[in-house]
Amino acid sequence: MKRNAYFILIVLSVLVLYSFMEGAAKLEVVTSYKYIEDLVRQVGGDRVTVTALADGQNDPHTVMPKPSFIAKLSRADLFIINGGQLEIGWVPAVLKQANNPVIMPGNKGFLDLMAFIRPLEIPTSVSRAQGDVHPEGNPHFHLDPNNIPILANAIKEQLCKQDAVNRAVYQSNYESFARKWEEKLKGWNIVFFKLKGVRLVVYHKLFEYLFTHYHADVIGTIEPLPGIPPSSRHIAGLIEAIKSSNVRLIIQDGYHSAKTAEFLSNKTGVKWIILPHDIGSIKEVTDLILLFDEIARRLTGL
Amino acid sequence: MTDILVSAFLLSLVLLGIHSYFGMEIIRRGIIFTDLAIGQMAALGAATALLFTGGKYAYIISLAFAIGSAGLTTFASRREKHLEAFIGLLYAFGVAGVFILLSKSPHGMEEFNELLASDILLVPIRKIIEVAVLYLGIGLFLGFIYRKFSGMVKDFFFFAAFAFTITSSVRLAGVFVVFALLVGPAFISLKFKKGFPLVNAWLIGIVINIISIGVSYRFDLPTGYTIVLFQAFAALVVSLVKKE
Repeated sequence: MKRNAYFILIVLSVLVLYSFMEGAAKLEVVTSYKYIEDLVRQVGGDRVTVTALADGQNDPHTVMPKPSFIAKLSRADLFIINGGQLEIGWVPAVLKQANNPVIMPGNKGFLDLMAFIRPLEIPTSVSRAQGDVHPEGNPHFHLDPNNIPILANAIKEQLCKQDAVNRAVYQSNYESFARKWEEKLKGWNIVFFKLKGVRLVVYHKLFEYLFTHYHADVIGTIEPLPGIPPSSRHIAGLIEAIKSSNVRLIIQDGYHSAKTAEFLSNKTGVKWIILPHDIGSIKEVTDLILLFDEIARRLTGL
Repeated sequence: MTDILVSAFLLSLVLLGIHSYFGMEIIRRGIIFTDLAIGQMAALGAATALLFTGGKYAYIISLAFAIGSAGLTTFASRREKHLEAFIGLLYAFGVAGVFILLSKSPHGMEEFNELLASDILLVPIRKIIEVAVLYLGIGLFLGFIYRKFSGMVKDFFFFAAFAFTITSSVRLAGVFVVFALLVGPAFISLKFKKGFPLVNAWLIGIVINIISIGVSYRFDLPTGYTIVLFQAFAALVVSLVKKE
């Protein structure tokens, strides 16, 4: 009886040890946002473990830090951020507290995705007189589906560099993802091409990359300056602009109050919609493909 | 893993040390919301700094605003029968002022919040030591020098020391954590007549902080708000259960 117990104990400990070794072999990736988590999952497959810090429901500019953020970062091999100062309000302090030299900016386990994108809206003056704009340009580049393969490629390169053993796997995962994406893009393009010349009002310039790529015409923002709630004169001006320039749609994000969009819509008769900005921002959107499916669905029938 | 929470715990200890003293004092004087008013005026100072100096001298300017409003409160406390109304209006003035200034500022809310308060979870040890030394100094001042004064001068020193403390701690832990640590343990301690009230407040505060930080880690909740929740909840329960 006792011998059996010992035997079971030994087998168990070997199993536990083995699973630890298995775990240690996997690259541990942490990302700031959900959409990056999904990209890593697509490219890394079962060779990496990945988890995102922020959830998709909240304002990406202001994320409330939780103890798990520090715990996750302190044992990460790779930390991937959006960049362009989108995380400036919360990541630097968390990173400092996690005190993990591998993933500090400039070191090998740190990846800033903004570096791979040609940014829009780089402010010309350094005084930042245009509001709380990001000096490196608009950081919401992931909301143009044409940028996604570029980001996937950057992540693939990084994974190959840090985990050369699994190079072939990452390469083939990336290729199949890129093919699938190209296929999906054909469907989305049918909707997005119709954006050309359509006049819009947006709350925040969250979909600037999408609208620039497909030549929609954003004639105004509900917030007078980024990060500042609308004033009465600004709203009066917007109502005039919406009426005089034949605006077709008011675009709202899910994390700011939709009160003003609704008010504008009532005053002008122009429809307003909420567009999801990240995975998890609405229940149905659980990966990147579903995110753009949903954006396209909501923009259908313009 | 626990080292993540050590600095949050140490900071809560440092804050508890001096804020319990102030807490009992403001409860006795019946001017509990002075803290929020002074904190808000410090925020107005930070917004002013953002608008006119681009964020330079933010600490000095917000400190000046805080001490200035402490001076006003001292003055009003001598001649105003309805002091709480005065303090409430000062708070409202500060809130509205911040929004109006920011609507004209080239910088948004984001940057303003950044300037105003960090999260209790993210304060580095070095900052905690700095503020511990500062509060020790204020504590010694209150314990030894402050007693020698009297009348309006004494009152002003009290409010000035209070303003100085609030401005520093709000920047580290946020306005609600500071308020909870200020009022919660002191309020509970004043309900019990045994022992030294200040020591009781410390003990009560430490126990609740340990529970809050533990719960925050276990269920992965925002640490600051967990502390506020438990401190406030404990004080509310004691208040409802225990008669004066």
